[in-house]
Amino acid sequence: MDRTLLRTAGAAVAGALVTLIIVAITFSTRPQPEATPTVAPTAPAAPVVAPSPREPRKFEDVVVSTEWLAQNLDNPKVRVIEVSVAPGVYERGHIPGAVNFVWTTDFVDTVSRNIIAPERFQELARAAGIDNDTTIVLYGDNNNWFAAWGAWVFRQYGAEDVRLLDGSRSKWEAENRELSTRAPTYPPGNFTVRQRSDLRVFLPDVLKVVRGEDNRVLVDIRSPDEFSGKIFAPEGFQELAVRAGHIPGAVNVPWKQALRDDGTFKSVEELRKLYADAGVDGSKPVITYCRIGERASHTWFVLSEILGYQAALYDGSWTEYGNSVGVPIANPAGTIWGVK
Amino acid sequence: MSNALPGSSPTDRAAPSKTELTAADVLRYGGALLMVAALLGGAYLLQAMPGRGSAAALSLLIGAALGVAFERGRFCFFCIFRDFIEYRNAGPLSAILMALAVSGIGYAIVFGAFLPNPAGGRLAPDAHIGPVSPALVAAGLMFGLGMALSGACISGHLYRLGEGSGYAPPALIGALIGFGLGFRTWNWLYAMVIADAPVVWLPHWVGYGGSLLLHLTVLGILALMLLRFVPPLPPRPARQLDITYLREALFRDRWNPLVTGAMVGIISVVAYLRVEPLGVTAQLGSATRTVMNWAGWLPDRLNGLDSFAGCATQVVQTITDNGWLIGGLVLGAFSAALLAGRFQPALPRAWGSVTALLGGVLMGWGAMTALGCTVGTLLSGIAAFALSGWVFGAAVFVGVWLGITLRLHRWV
Repeated sequence: MDRTLLRTAGAAVAGALVTLIIVAITFSTRPQPEATPTVAPTAPAAPVVAPSPREPRKFEDVVVSTEWLAQNLDNPKVRVIEVSVAPGVYERGHIPGAVNFVWTTDFVDTVSRNIIAPERFQELARAAGIDNDTTIVLYGDNNNWFAAWGAWVFRQYGAEDVRLLDGSRSKWEAENRELSTRAPTYPPGNFTVRQRSDLRVFLPDVLKVVRGEDNRVLVDIRSPDEFSGKIFAPEGFQELAVRAGHIPGAVNVPWKQALRDDGTFKSVEELRKLYADAGVDGSKPVITYCRIGERASHTWFVLSEILGYQAALYDGSWTEYGNSVGVPIANPAGTIWGVK
Repeated sequence: MSNALPGSSPTDRAAPSKTELTAADVLRYGGALLMVAALLGGAYLLQAMPGRGSAAALSLLIGAALGVAFERGRFCFFCIFRDFIEYRNAGPLSAILMALAVSGIGYAIVFGAFLPNPAGGRLAPDAHIGPVSPALVAAGLMFGLGMALSGACISGHLYRLGEGSGYAPPALIGALIGFGLGFRTWNWLYAMVIADAPVVWLPHWVGYGGSLLLHLTVLGILALMLLRFVPPLPPRPARQLDITYLREALFRDRWNPLVTGAMVGIISVVAYLRVEPLGVTAQLGSATRTVMNWAGWLPDRLNGLDSFAGCATQVVQTITDNGWLIGGLVLGAFSAALLAGRFQPALPRAWGSVTALLGGVLMGWGAMTALGCTVGTLLSGIAAFALSGWVFGAAVFVGVWLGITLRLHRWV
């Protein structure tokens, strides 16, 4: 055997040994990640508070302008949270000091079709340095879709002061405001979950409305073609119901009508008129729904937080309703099993 | 016959050696200058677009930089592998090792900022970390065979398009067809082997520091083992560092593999930090998927495909960031080739076109099934400490070795 080969083999063996030692040391000294519970606790540990209607808040106290946010970035009582749909958006640049909440894992229970369990939410909020009296400002991509959904989760778990950034991420970027790539850390907050039961409804609640046993208005925020049953879902979406159409009695106000072209909210008067024209004037409690329950939180935010109406979100939405056996549907297009 | 392909050492053609500027030089330099101006102007116009304009502009420039580095350094996975397999010359391989080492260091730094704690269940956003399955091995083998058959990998054909290669168009058309076949076999493969395949990401186990140490150690061992296959360097006369020397070193001579590799590594990190990991097949795949979707040739749903990072391919109506990157790559390579006097458009011969097309089909199928090619899955994947990158890389190497042993590369 020639000496070069021998030397190379020796180097290789030595390298492999060093690697093994390094890996062994890293393994033995690395702190173990906390085990994720595979089954979410079902019994809520936190107290469920009775619905307590609060005074309608001023528009400026629910929707903050980019201007206001820029001035309040250093305010310790304000915590900014980004909830974007696309991965990598927060990481490549976010509003300085903003915390990242990932909607696919942070706001949902990964096992059951449910929102995050109260205990886990409390941990998450505390880790973001949120106290009970913190002003929480949410923003994200896609016109604040999932930021609004995050706001709904925060409100359900008792956060009092929850606001959205007007015009979402895109307005902040369009104004060439500062972005940061650094993920901040905050000392743990003392946020304590107080569960509210009046912001969310389930299938039986909706059926009561359909059967006339409960006097609430249903707002379907999907496109007119989905509402009429002409199509099951927009192209490319895989979560479907076997029946197309809408919940009987629902009115159709597509979510985007609440926004101007630049993504900012319309004025309170315009919003009030938009929904009043569809018969939603706040005299009766409202239920919003969409396809899988996330976009409807945008309209829920408008009705509940901006206009101060009593509004709840049916997050089971059309994928649950249209798939349920024995529930009546309305289908003006007359499609059954996808055919006429 | 393969010697007709540029960059196939040891018969690497030397550009005519001269130190005086001729009229032809002025013409070539003027053309290259115009191209650079077009690229910069294009980027300027793109960044003004509302929405993702800046990402598109950056992609165009990153692509151009990559095109220049690929062209000047002959960074062609097939030529590099062939130099080693056929001529026992491991010198060019060091470019790949260098690119992986540099991008690994950069990725570790970026990962720490994007996902501070790797021990949780999450993967770093967008990084090309894929499932490790028999399908990945098959895809790598087919891709390697396709490289041998067509004379270059997909990125190689893209930069050769900028050199005027006649075989790049049929190979790239073949790749589009291959992508289509990949979509047709995807659901079956997904149900058979991909759905349950593990997605192995080293930082989950040993953190970023441990991953980087392991990464550099493995690359170091490989480099050491390959040292004995590096031919002795020719003696170099002392040179005066003047304009002529700089011009030749930058524009005419082939770049040192280590320099090229380091450049590619840096570009790869910049791309991941600002836009998305390097990859050259997402736009090609998306175009195929859009056309097939429109023609109704696609299965109703491609199970699980959109949930994987990598050169995932969506139905799109516009030019994606990846499309701008590819455009930049071709134009960058074109400018570099003009400067080096390597822009020599040639018509392909019929038989060569057929094998290039066939090779392209194999590569397209492989790249679709592996969720990326030698750039996306191999380069960006290994830099991201993904086991899938190493597995794909090894399979591609075996595929090329098989192809060369079967003398497929002599058919082009």
